[in-house]
Amino acid sequence: MILDSHDLPDGHTLQAEVCIIGAGAAGIAMALDFVGTGIDVLMLEAGGRTEESDTQALYAGSVVDARMHSPPDRYRQRRLGGTTTIWGGRCMPFDAIDFEARDYVPHSGWPLAREALLPYYARANPLCEAGEFAYTAEEAFHRPTRPIIDGFSSGNFTADTLERFSCPTDFAARYGHKLEAAQNVRTLLHANVTHVQLNAAGRAVDHLIVRNLRGQRFTVRAANFVLATGGLEVARLLLASRDVQQQGIGNQHDVVGRYYMCHIAGTIGAIKIDRPPASVWHGYEISDEGIYCRRRFALRETVQRSLGIGNFVGRLHHPRISNPEHRNAVLSLLFLAQLIIPYEYRVRLAGAESTRLAEWLRHIRNVVLGSTDAAGFAWHMLRDRRLAERKFPTIIIHSKANLYSLDFHAEQQPNPSSRVGLSAEPDALGMPRISVDWRYTAGDVDTVSRAVALLAEDFRRQRIGTFDYDPDSVETEMTRYGAFGGHHIGTARMGADPRSSVVNADCRLHDVGNLFIASSATFPTSSQANPTLTVVAFALRLSAHLKSLMRPPQTRAAAAVEPLECA
Amino acid sequence: VKPRILVLGATGFIGKRVLEALWSSDWALPIAASRRRMKHAGADRPEAVQLDATDAGQLRRAMEGVSGVVNCVLGDSRTIVEGARALFSVAGGMPQPPRIVHFSSLAIYGEAAGDVDESAAPVGRLSAYGAAKFETERLAAANPSVVTLRPGIVYGPGGAQWSGRIAQLLYAHRLGDLGRGGDGYCNLVYIDDVAEAVLRALRLPNVESKAFNLSLPDPPTWNQYLGRYAAALGAVPVKRISQRRLRLESKLMAPPQKIAEILAGKLSPRLVARLPQPIPPSLVRLFQQEIRMKVGLAEQCLGLRWTPLEEGLSRTAAWYRPKVSSSVVANSLAPR
Repeated sequence: MILDSHDLPDGHTLQAEVCIIGAGAAGIAMALDFVGTGIDVLMLEAGGRTEESDTQALYAGSVVDARMHSPPDRYRQRRLGGTTTIWGGRCMPFDAIDFEARDYVPHSGWPLAREALLPYYARANPLCEAGEFAYTAEEAFHRPTRPIIDGFSSGNFTADTLERFSCPTDFAARYGHKLEAAQNVRTLLHANVTHVQLNAAGRAVDHLIVRNLRGQRFTVRAANFVLATGGLEVARLLLASRDVQQQGIGNQHDVVGRYYMCHIAGTIGAIKIDRPPASVWHGYEISDEGIYCRRRFALRETVQRSLGIGNFVGRLHHPRISNPEHRNAVLSLLFLAQLIIPYEYRVRLAGAESTRLAEWLRHIRNVVLGSTDAAGFAWHMLRDRRLAERKFPTIIIHSKANLYSLDFHAEQQPNPSSRVGLSAEPDALGMPRISVDWRYTAGDVDTVSRAVALLAEDFRRQRIGTFDYDPDSVETEMTRYGAFGGHHIGTARMGADPRSSVVNADCRLHDVGNLFIASSATFPTSSQANPTLTVVAFALRLSAHLKSLMRPPQTRAAAAVEPLECA
Repeated sequence: VKPRILVLGATGFIGKRVLEALWSSDWALPIAASRRRMKHAGADRPEAVQLDATDAGQLRRAMEGVSGVVNCVLGDSRTIVEGARALFSVAGGMPQPPRIVHFSSLAIYGEAAGDVDESAAPVGRLSAYGAAKFETERLAAANPSVVTLRPGIVYGPGGAQWSGRIAQLLYAHRLGDLGRGGDGYCNLVYIDDVAEAVLRALRLPNVESKAFNLSLPDPPTWNQYLGRYAAALGAVPVKRISQRRLRLESKLMAPPQKIAEILAGKLSPRLVARLPQPIPPSLVRLFQQEIRMKVGLAEQCLGLRWTPLEEGLSRTAAWYRPKVSSSVVANSLAPR
């Protein structure tokens, strides 16, 4: 059932066996997994069913360098469904190499291998409505599919792996009815956790302090607690609860909030493919289950190892929209449409530079001259994106002139100096706001520089076409829009050593026996992959772990057997 | 001498398959009964009688000398209830009442959710069909020789309602991935398993006065069923059907489509087949109903084993595919 803290008496104490903090991708995935188990679960959601400006304002904070990171109340949603209410839906699993300790990536290595996650990836995929867990063209399609570029074959990159797209599924809209109907899972709205109270010994969570914006205050007690918020809020809650462990919970070794990663992403170069336009396909294929799938150029693991660089993927992309020189009506239409596109999608579309009046006029001219193309595109976006429940994922523009750029998404290396801390300024509930100091390293520049150079060299050697870019512009391009928005990783990293990590392989705090984290905060490295699918897989792994702790399999089996009478 | 078994409603989907199963058994002599005229008995087909199953006099004559009756009568609520009333009263009046296998339905559980076994009471509002079946079970309670079967969604070759209609809607991309609208469980049971249940219910001891749920023990959701069936049919890629579209179909389109179907039915059955199938609100509600029938009793008392879903779907798809024109299949498979 779904309850609202506004309907509870002030000072009320709630009890549960498991308390999940946050009803986003991780929290809802776990809550659904507990439905019907008989385990009494309470899920606390800070927001309501829709965005509320005063609740959303609790996410506001400061950024040390505003060019490098979006404001903290952007790209995340404090409401039922969390950030799944606005996400883009791109799903892909982490690669095997991401879990390895790589001597050329400082602070890398997970306390588990990818195999440990595979059973949960298989369940996470349909939960995200991204179909079956099949991430190569061969596995996903039982028919031939179009290559990105006919004849492209490289020892450096594979074009056979896929990204698959969720609807994108808003977990609240999709699964809210299951939460409503659940007998053993209560979801409490407007329940902001403002303090995690440890017991006197600091070895277990005793209770949570929960407040709402109407001034009511509640206490929540449970046997086990799961912090299922995003990567920024995990650090905030742990650091702000510092009455027993004075550095903040789990922070004796100054790890919480550090190693903060997003992804390194950008668009670079001018690609001209010397093949017939029909031999280039940078768009989507639809699998039999109806899922949009897309190939990309993925840097092979052997090459990452031999060059000592991080993980990297690239996609053919349209030329930069903001420059009207492309003379493309659709691109100019998109440029003009920025006024009605949400912030999170507008940033990388429109460009960071201010636009002069003359350029605006030239964009308008492009649209007028190519009005048929522009109208066709507008109709496609209306039918296949705006009105569709399974949305056409991104903007794909086939160039008749075979002109493209490279859109890349690369691993960011863990760096203790890149961090999320607390500011002195409190929010409306008295919680200190966060301060974000995101930083990248020379290693990150090196990953992108060398991967892009390899691809350009592959194009040249195979006579695919030309890939012109200024090698000195790589750092500028990868930071043009700052850190990739919405991917908040590494602030409570997982590891075997409490001196360099916050949680163990079970996602439990090393020194707090009943506090677990289901969040991208626990990822020690960032991969090339978007984090949501892996967040959901870890959440399902954690709920399975908690179920086995609280209801060992043998007691469940015994309860299930009921004698039936035939006579 | 083989015992004579009367199959009422022998021209329907279930009745026909039950008749075949009895005919090919080595222990029963089936007699087909239906409102419709059937071909006369011969070496390759059983004896047939045309009758109105709600007419006790006609039933009494047909039931003379039979040791078992299978009640698969279809029709409106009145036909269902009156047919059952007549059957039970005639049987009750016979010196040696025959074993009756009576078909009830998943619909008697109403709006129930969660796991339901045979002892579960109906929840919420019953559909007209569910209420009629519920009433027949009440009538059956007075007759100790009745075995009641409550099948879920009976599918398989020849099934117009759950196989033919659904296939047509999948090819037309009017059904597919229904999102939250398809989270209900699809309590599928393959037609051959239903026929096998009947045969066992006719002969086994200690099953009288009992009711048995019939369904796959771990049923898929409707979304999973529609996806797998579409794949088996080649009606891919599966289309996401929005909640808005489902509402439009069931609330706005279905009533006129139903009226057109009724009117066309008066003119020509061929015309009906060419009309688009309505998706009524009751179907949309069923797609969402998270009810799972427990079938331990049927497994234990009737010794039933279930045809795996993939096997049942592949046989069903093989039956339906030739009905579809090649252009529809080609359209469906074309990349979009």
